[in-house]
Amino acid sequence: MWFGERRAEARLSSELRYHLDKLTEEYAASGMSPEAARLRARQEFGGIEQVKEDCRDVRGRWLEDLIKDVRYAARGLRRSPGFLAVAVLSLALGIGANTSIFSLINAVMLRSLPVVREPDRLVLITRLRDEGKPASVSYPLFHHFRASLRSISVSAAHRTSSPTIVIDGLDEVAEADLVSGDYFSMLGVEPSVGRLLDAADDVLAPQSPAAVISHRYWQRRFAGNPDVIGKRLTIGNKLLTIVGVTPPRFLGVQPGRTPDLMLPLTPMLSQEEREEPTNNNLNMIARLKPGATVQQVNAEVQVSWEQFIRAVAAPFPEKDRARILQQRAKAFPAHNGVNPLQYDFSQPLFVLMGIVGLVLLLACANLSGLLLARAASRQREISIRLAIGAGRGRLVRQFLAESLLLAALGAVAGLCLSYWFSGVLVNMLADSGGLTLNVAPDWRVLAFTCATSVLACVLAGLAPGIHAVRGSLQPALKEARTGGHRRLGRSLVIAQLAVSMVLVVGAALFLETLVKLHRVERGMQTGGLLTFTVRSAEPYPAARGLAIRAALLERLSSLPGVEAASAAATLVIAGNLWVRKVQVQGYTYRPDEDETAALNVVSPRYFATMSTPMLLGRDFDPRDTAAGPKVAIVNERFARSFFGGESPVGRRLTSNDVTYEIVGVVADVKYRNLRDASPRQFYISWTQREGEQPASYNYLLRAREGDPLRLGSSLERVVSEVDPSLRLRRWRSYAAIVDRTIVNERMMATLGGFFGLLALIIACLGIFGMMAFQVSRRINELGVRMALGAGRGDIVALVLREVTLMLIAGVVIGGACVRAMSGLAGRMLFGVTPTDTGVFALATVALGASALAAGWLPARRASRIDPMTALRHD
Amino acid sequence: MDTPKSDLLQGTLDVLILKIVALEPLHGYGIAQRIRQISRDVLQVQQGSLYPALHRLEKRGWLRAEWGEAETGREAKFYSLTRVGRKQLEAETANWDRLSEAVTLILRTAE
Repeated sequence: MWFGERRAEARLSSELRYHLDKLTEEYAASGMSPEAARLRARQEFGGIEQVKEDCRDVRGRWLEDLIKDVRYAARGLRRSPGFLAVAVLSLALGIGANTSIFSLINAVMLRSLPVVREPDRLVLITRLRDEGKPASVSYPLFHHFRASLRSISVSAAHRTSSPTIVIDGLDEVAEADLVSGDYFSMLGVEPSVGRLLDAADDVLAPQSPAAVISHRYWQRRFAGNPDVIGKRLTIGNKLLTIVGVTPPRFLGVQPGRTPDLMLPLTPMLSQEEREEPTNNNLNMIARLKPGATVQQVNAEVQVSWEQFIRAVAAPFPEKDRARILQQRAKAFPAHNGVNPLQYDFSQPLFVLMGIVGLVLLLACANLSGLLLARAASRQREISIRLAIGAGRGRLVRQFLAESLLLAALGAVAGLCLSYWFSGVLVNMLADSGGLTLNVAPDWRVLAFTCATSVLACVLAGLAPGIHAVRGSLQPALKEARTGGHRRLGRSLVIAQLAVSMVLVVGAALFLETLVKLHRVERGMQTGGLLTFTVRSAEPYPAARGLAIRAALLERLSSLPGVEAASAAATLVIAGNLWVRKVQVQGYTYRPDEDETAALNVVSPRYFATMSTPMLLGRDFDPRDTAAGPKVAIVNERFARSFFGGESPVGRRLTSNDVTYEIVGVVADVKYRNLRDASPRQFYISWTQREGEQPASYNYLLRAREGDPLRLGSSLERVVSEVDPSLRLRRWRSYAAIVDRTIVNERMMATLGGFFGLLALIIACLGIFGMMAFQVSRRINELGVRMALGAGRGDIVALVLREVTLMLIAGVVIGGACVRAMSGLAGRMLFGVTPTDTGVFALATVALGASALAAGWLPARRASRIDPMTALRHD
Repeated sequence: MDTPKSDLLQGTLDVLILKIVALEPLHGYGIAQRIRQISRDVLQVQQGSLYPALHRLEKRGWLRAEWGEAETGREAKFYSLTRVGRKQLEAETANWDRLSEAVTLILRTAE
C-alpha cells in the first residue's frame, strides 16, 4: 500500500479510538466497572469498521481500488503465462515500433539544437528551391540581408566542407564548418578551452588565421590535452592556429553532422565564392530581436530579396530575366538549425508513422480478441459478482486494470525494443555515411510512449470489458452461449484483416518500387565497378596535375584484375547534376525552351569502363590534347533533340564560349538519380577542360571478375608510387553509391515489407485464436451436427466458410481504405500506382493464403471431435 | 436519558458541526458532546454519521483538521472552521432560518 495511504489509515484508527476511549471514560466516571464501561461504549459507538469504510468512501478510494485491481490482475496474469507472453509481445512490438519511428521524427524534426541559447529565437533565412524547400544563399546575398533586415539582431553564415588538413606532419580528412564572425556569439555558445571565433577572425587577411576544434575531435585526436591551443594546422596553402575548443555537447547547427573543425568563413572562400551573387552555398541563420517574430523577418526578407534579385537579373537578356526573377526567398523558424534531413526524411517518416500506427492498432485488436476470450471464460465469475452486487463500473475498471498492466509491461518492453530499433533505423538512413542522430529517449519520447500505451490499453481493454459486463446478467448464472462474443470477435478479426490488407498492399507497393528502380535502364553497369578519389596534400600547377593524372590512370589500367580504368569529374546516379548552357550550330531554341544540357568531364575509356554502349563515332583518345581541336561526345537524347534523325558527328556545339566538334554518340545514361529520365548530355575530355582545374577527379576501375572492393587493397600503394603526396580517399563500390541515392526507397521497402509481414503474422494469430476459441465454444453444436450425419469435410468447410467470409469483408474494407489513402504515398512510388491491379491481387492472395492456413488448424481440430464426447461436453 | 430524542433532519448535521466548530476547534468526541449538551439531550449524533460527515466537510475545504494535544494529554484530531467554511455556515444559517420560519408558518396556520 502507498505510504500516504497507510498513514491516513493509522490516523483514522486513532481518531476513532480516541472517541471510544472518551466514551469509556465517561461511563466509568458515572460509576460503571471498567469492563462494563468498555462494553457500553462499544455498543453505543456501533460498528467501528463500518464507520471506517464510510470515512474511506468519503475520502475517495480510487487509488486503493486501483492498487487492488492491479494486484488482482497481476495474480490473474501470472496464472496464464501463455496469454501474458503473447499479449506483452504483441504490445511491445506495436509500442516499440511506434516509439522508434517517433524517436526518429523527434531527432530529425523536434529536438532543438543542443547547447545553443534560446534556440526557438533562431531563424533560417534562405532562397527557396522550386519545391518550396530551403536552398542556400551566396556570400553577397548574406551581406545584403544582414545589412537590410531590421528584425534580427545577429546573423551568421555557415557552410560545410571536408578539407584535407595537416597537423604535426600527418594529413587526414576532417569535417569542417566554415562560419562567419558572429556565428558563436549568435548561438550564445561559450568555449570549453581557449576562445571561439569572432568578427576579427572573419576578414579576408586576418593577422593570424584561427581555427576552433570540436570537443569530440579534441578528445579523439588530442586526448583532451589542453596544449592543443596554439597548435598549427595547414589546409591547402593556408596556415591556421587552433585557438579554442567548443563545449562538449555542441554539434553545430546542422543536425546529423558532427564537425571536427570550425574555420573562419571569409578567408576560406575562393574569390569567386566571395564575389559571385549567384554562387549559393551558404546557410544563413539569424537571431530574432526581442519581440520580433519570424513573420516580421519574413516580410522584410521579401522586400530585401526583391531588391537583390532585380539587381542580379538586370544585366541578363529579357528572356533569362523572367527565370531569375521567379526565384523566392523566405525566413523559417530554425530551432533545430539548418536541417536538410527534415525535408529529405519527413515524408517517409510520416508514412512510416502511419504504418506503425496501424501495426499498433492490429496489436490492440489482437489483444482485444484475447481479452474477450478470457472474459468469456470468466463469464460465470462475473455473473456471480454482478449478482452479489458488484458495480458494473467497478468491474469494467477491473478489466481496464488488466489491460493497463499489460500496457505498462508492453511499454517497458517496447522502450527497450525501440532503443535497439532506432539504432538500426539510423544506420539504415545513414547508410554507412556519417549521420549522428540523437535518438536517446527524452521527455517527448517518454510522453509519447506513455500516451501510446494508455491509448493501447483503452482500445484493447474497454470493449471486452463493457461487453463482458453488459452481457452477463440476463442468462443469469447459466453458462451463456451468447452470440455477442462471436459478433464482436468477428468484427475484430475483420478489422485486423482490413488493416493487414492496407499494410500488405503498402509493402507490395514499396517493394515493387524498389524492384522497378533496380530494373530501370541505367545505360551503364554498376556491378563490378570501384570508385575512389585522389587528392594531393598540396595543389599542383595545372600542367603537372594533368601529367600526374595521366600517369596514375596508366598505372591503374595495368593492374592485374582491372579490365578498364578511367576518371570523371562527376559521378552519375549519385545525386549530382551538372548543367550548362549550350548553343548548337544550326539549331535555334524555341522561346520557352530550356537552353541547358547536362555535362560531364571524363577521361578516355570512360564509356568502356562504365559499359555504356558507343553508338556512333569514336571515344576520346590521346589525339585530344589540350592544344588540339576541341571535341565533345553527346548522348542519344542530345542527338535526337538537336539533330532529329541526322548524325551529329561532325556538327558543333558551344558552351562557355568554347566550341567543340561532336565526334561520337553514346547511349543515354541516368544522371542525377534512377528516377529522373536521362537528360540531354555532352561529355568533354579532361585534357580539354577550360578554366580552373578541379582539385580531384573520381577514378573508376572495372574489375575483371568478382567483388571490385578486392582491388582496393593495393590501391593505396599504387597511388603513392605515382606521387608520394597523393592520397587515396573514399574508395567504394559503385553499387553502394547508387544504393545511397535510394536510401528512402530501400528503407520503405525493407520496413514496409517487415511491417507487412508482421501484420500478416498478427492477423493470423488473431484468426487462429478466434477460430480455436469458437470451435471450443461450439463443441456441442458440432457434435450434434456430426451425430446428424455431417462429415469431417463438412465441418472443415463450415469453419473455413466463416474464415472466408471474414476474409472477403476484410479485403474489401482494406482495399477501399487503400484507395482512399492512395494519394499519400504517390510521390514515393516509382513505376507503380497505388491502384495497381497486380499488387492488389498479390496482396489478396498473400492475405487469403495466410488467413486460410490460420483457420485450417482449428477447422481440422473441429473435424476430429468425437460426437459422443462432444454431446456430453457441457 | 429520558428526554425524548429527535432524529436529525437530513443535511442538518453538517450545519450543526460547522456551528459548533465555529466556537472553538474541537475533536469529534467533543463535537458530539457539545451537540448533545447544547440541545439539552434532544439531538444525539451517531458516530456512524458524525465521522463520515467530518471527513466530507474536511475534503470540501470547510473544515481544517490538525492533530493537537487534548486536555488529557493525548493526541486528538481537532477540527476548525476555514474561511470558506465560515461563509458556508452563514449561508446555511440564513437558509435554515428561512426554512424553519416557512415550516412553522405552515404548521401554525393549518388549523
